[in-house]
Amino acid sequence: MPKVEAVQAHPATLVALALFTLISLGLGVVANLVASRKAGFLQKYFLGNRSLGALAVALTAAVMSGGTFMGFPSLVYSFGWVVGLWIASYMVAPLTVLGVLGKRIGQLSRKTGAITLPDLLRERFGSPALGLLTSLLVIFFLTCNLVPQFKAGGVIMKIVMPSSAYTWASGEDLAVTVDMGYIVGLAIFTATDVAYTAYGGFLAAVWTDVFQSLVMAVGVILLFPMAMAASGGLASATTKGMELAGDGFAFGPGAGRSFHPLTLALSFFVMWAITGMGQPSTMVRLMAFRDSRTLRWSILYLTIYNILIYIPLVFIFIASRSILPGLEKPDEVMPRLVIHLANPYVAGLILAAPYGAVMSTVSGFLLIVASGLVRDVYQRFLRPKASEREIEWASYSATIGIGVIAAVVALNPPKYLQLIVVFASSGMASAFLMPALMGAFWRRATAAGAIASMSTGAGVTLALYAYGSYLGFHQVDQGIGPRPQMFGAYYLLGFEPCVWGLLSSLASGVVVSWLSRPPDPERVALLFDQQPADAPAPATLDLANKERSHPTDLEQH
Amino acid sequence: MTDPVVRNSRREAIIIGLVWLASTLFCCFYSWWFGYGSAEHPLTSQDVRPIWGIPSWAFWGYIVPWVVCALFTIWFAGFYMVDDDLGRDHAAELESDIREGVVDAQG
Repeated sequence: MPKVEAVQAHPATLVALALFTLISLGLGVVANLVASRKAGFLQKYFLGNRSLGALAVALTAAVMSGGTFMGFPSLVYSFGWVVGLWIASYMVAPLTVLGVLGKRIGQLSRKTGAITLPDLLRERFGSPALGLLTSLLVIFFLTCNLVPQFKAGGVIMKIVMPSSAYTWASGEDLAVTVDMGYIVGLAIFTATDVAYTAYGGFLAAVWTDVFQSLVMAVGVILLFPMAMAASGGLASATTKGMELAGDGFAFGPGAGRSFHPLTLALSFFVMWAITGMGQPSTMVRLMAFRDSRTLRWSILYLTIYNILIYIPLVFIFIASRSILPGLEKPDEVMPRLVIHLANPYVAGLILAAPYGAVMSTVSGFLLIVASGLVRDVYQRFLRPKASEREIEWASYSATIGIGVIAAVVALNPPKYLQLIVVFASSGMASAFLMPALMGAFWRRATAAGAIASMSTGAGVTLALYAYGSYLGFHQVDQGIGPRPQMFGAYYLLGFEPCVWGLLSSLASGVVVSWLSRPPDPERVALLFDQQPADAPAPATLDLANKERSHPTDLEQH
Repeated sequence: MTDPVVRNSRREAIIIGLVWLASTLFCCFYSWWFGYGSAEHPLTSQDVRPIWGIPSWAFWGYIVPWVVCALFTIWFAGFYMVDDDLGRDHAAELESDIREGVVDAQG
């Protein structure tokens, strides 16, 4: 991560970031005031009453995170043109991520009344065990993902803060030894992000996400002509890049290392375009859009957004190699390039982009973990009769509590940010995508099949990362991908773990579904066949069946 | 009778799957064939053959396919996908079922 003294920004950058944070807080307050009180609290707080418009769905599904503006640029700087192929599956991602499951998840969540992913799978398959397993895996993987995001937020805030903002706390010496700048940066980031998320709920997270995505787009559009002018154009930048990094800068599999061989190129078309469909944050948005027309328009918006952001980002950071040759820490290339090229106020705006990406990622994840705890554990298993007021306070407390816990863990931050993010994304897709696809399109899919699919996918991914980390610990170089580190993936036959996770999840889901008893035909008919307008939710059907078979049990309650 | 949302979504999902497969195979194999060097066949500055400053393998391997995919997506989402009615929201009903069904919720 960038050293503070290496990329210390102008005070104007801090002003831009402060304005950015204030606007986000303001949006949180407005979201709380605007959200309708007519629907239940949970549906409003965690799903925004299924009212998302096209721009909101598109930009919140843009899958931007801190990595987009910190990790990705450093890869282009280091390995050259092949990194464009690494990200190229974003060309089909709007179609796959929103179009494959969009309408069915939207419909199933309405038919079942689900407001969270565990809710949806539990009601679709009629299995409390599946709901609980989903909750636990969502909480595990998203918490893994939250900690590095908090670290990124703290580091960016530290970069733009004047050192006087934190040395007063303990004196210069201590500030250097315990990295007081990072701690103060982390505290400011946590306080602001958790505050607007907890107060405004889902709508606050979505609105700030939209605002932040637009700022990112403006940042990239401003940076592009500056980088082209400074490098003398792409042809000149490529030639200089080849002189500096070797001929591999212009070709695959990458400069100086077999970074992206054919097997990984194929894997990353799965990684971005397919695993994106299986992220809980994506599925929640698919439960929250207003109607089918909204979904179609959001696919169009996201297509235009992706082409305007990612192709220019590749060009900008190809040019950066000739503008800033010989960077010791390629992770610093984005802030260094911005400060090098732009005037301080424009630099402030552009540097707000990665901060905004981290803020919006954190707010979305916080709400998903909190909803898992409140709806799927607290309300479902501990306090089914809890009042609306009690649920409201439980939701606020869970959101704040998770934010504080993640921040405390990030005080001693993990070293391998981007790898942990990729691990968590692969793990979640391997666990949730196949059960969701089976639930949406296959009548014969059973709860046992979904549980097998989920546990196998998550288990295979975890095992491949555990073995990859073991090899990294012993400095065994697999010869492809990033250099060996303490935490990393094992590329079985050269493929990313997500490929094996998804394949094993599909195979076990299909085999176990065929081997287990067919699902309840009444439930399947409710969810797959045309029904009258007054057809009940599957949960109502369950209660009616239970009442018929054990009338006294329910009367006692 | 199968719900039309299920029928339409399944058809659209199959088409999207085929587009994903075609883009994956074309981009990866074209780039590998024309843009990847090896110890036996190293590529040099003579092989860059830039188009608008972009190495030709990257231009044809992922920039042009990206534009083609964008055009297809605009047609598909703009004119082909069906505006299905997603039905009534049962969230309030589920909420009350959870409160009533204490026995069920606790297994």
